[in-house]
Amino acid sequence: MAASQRKLQEPQPAFVLHTYPYRETSLIVEAFTRHHGRIGLLAKGARRPKSALRGTLLAFQPLLIQWGGRGELRGLHSAEWQGGVPQLKGIGLMSGFYLNELLLRFLHRDDPHEGLFDLYAEAVSALATNTRIAATLRRFEKFLLGELGYALTLDTEAGSNNPVDPGASYTYVIEKGPVQIRSGDNPTIELSGKTLIDLSSDNYEDPVTLSQSKLLMRHLVGHYLGSRSLHTRQFLVELQQI
Amino acid sequence: MKTPSSLEELVEALRRLPGVGPKSAQRMAYHLLQHDREGAQRLAKSLGEAVERVRHCDKCNNFAEQPLCELCSSTRRDASVLCVVEMPGDVAMMEQAQAYRGLYFVLLGRLSPLDGIGPKEINLDRLVKRATDGEVKEVIIATNFTVEGEATAHYIAEMLTARGLKVTRIARGLPVGGELEHVDSGTLAQSVIERRPVD
Repeated sequence: MAASQRKLQEPQPAFVLHTYPYRETSLIVEAFTRHHGRIGLLAKGARRPKSALRGTLLAFQPLLIQWGGRGELRGLHSAEWQGGVPQLKGIGLMSGFYLNELLLRFLHRDDPHEGLFDLYAEAVSALATNTRIAATLRRFEKFLLGELGYALTLDTEAGSNNPVDPGASYTYVIEKGPVQIRSGDNPTIELSGKTLIDLSSDNYEDPVTLSQSKLLMRHLVGHYLGSRSLHTRQFLVELQQI
Repeated sequence: MKTPSSLEELVEALRRLPGVGPKSAQRMAYHLLQHDREGAQRLAKSLGEAVERVRHCDKCNNFAEQPLCELCSSTRRDASVLCVVEMPGDVAMMEQAQAYRGLYFVLLGRLSPLDGIGPKEINLDRLVKRATDGEVKEVIIATNFTVEGEATAHYIAEMLTARGLKVTRIARGLPVGGELEHVDSGTLAQSVIERRPVD
């Protein structure tokens, strides 16, 4: 208890994931902190026209925040700008929303994931440059699943310790791993052994690796989300229909 | 003692206003009935009339009483530029700034992927129709500089540039007369990133 009390008095590294208006002038902030995981904060007066928090409580910006209280919603005391990341735009911004939605859906409140926080910070910086977006997303999805306890078996075949053959074709059985495709099989997911090996070492240079791992990750994320669909994915589909 | 049912109904009705809870609604109802019956009549009448008459302008989507709002039917505006804003209040602010002589399109919202607010909820298809009517040459996007406003701006820009229109975005940076000493870090940081050559 003493340790956590002391921690609360120091500013904590955090990102804003999402905000909701609350009453006339306040905001409810969903924040992702390095040491305390995802927390809910009440930012009083943050929507007042002259509030300094307006230009600070922005998503995709590294912040140092302090809060007090316990329970579902803590009171935000201060938020300090850390800087270094330009505002996301275009496809980088959309991808950022997707990462935030994944964190909002998958992380429980007050469950710290320091490694994931560091990777998120890295991913946001990468998205700000609007380059190598797909690789950034795949790496994040893979790491997130591992953090949640669904670590993927990628470089050995399911049920054995045989290394994956880069030249063979595989399908992916959830919770088990790669299974070689036999003639006559008609799997929904088809991956080359090379894709699996690249994915296990986070090597996304090959465009085939990128497109195959995208399908694999969509399948896995969808499976662990259950029946709930992702707004950000639905959103992109609707936009393409216009 | 039982509260008369029309009073109860009034309290319930007032609670539909944003930010009004049961206590405030009750206070408003008592005030109107006890101290300001005339005001209550006026409120009832104007509310009824407004609901009856106010509609959306066919061109700009803003609130209007006619098929076309006053701005859209004016002959003194420049019909070749269209400024896209989120809310009717933004039109009022732009007009007050007196820097713009073109026409508007009011989205009445913004895209917000995390809240499930997509293109269907904010009339983007109507905007495309309006912007491609042949008269409009340039579209100025004046959505807010929030992440949602930026997402909205990006997609409008994509859709309209693909249809051959010139699309611009209002500038962001230090406020006019602003001193660096008093500006927030986020604004200052972005103003450095988006710096431009001095002409």
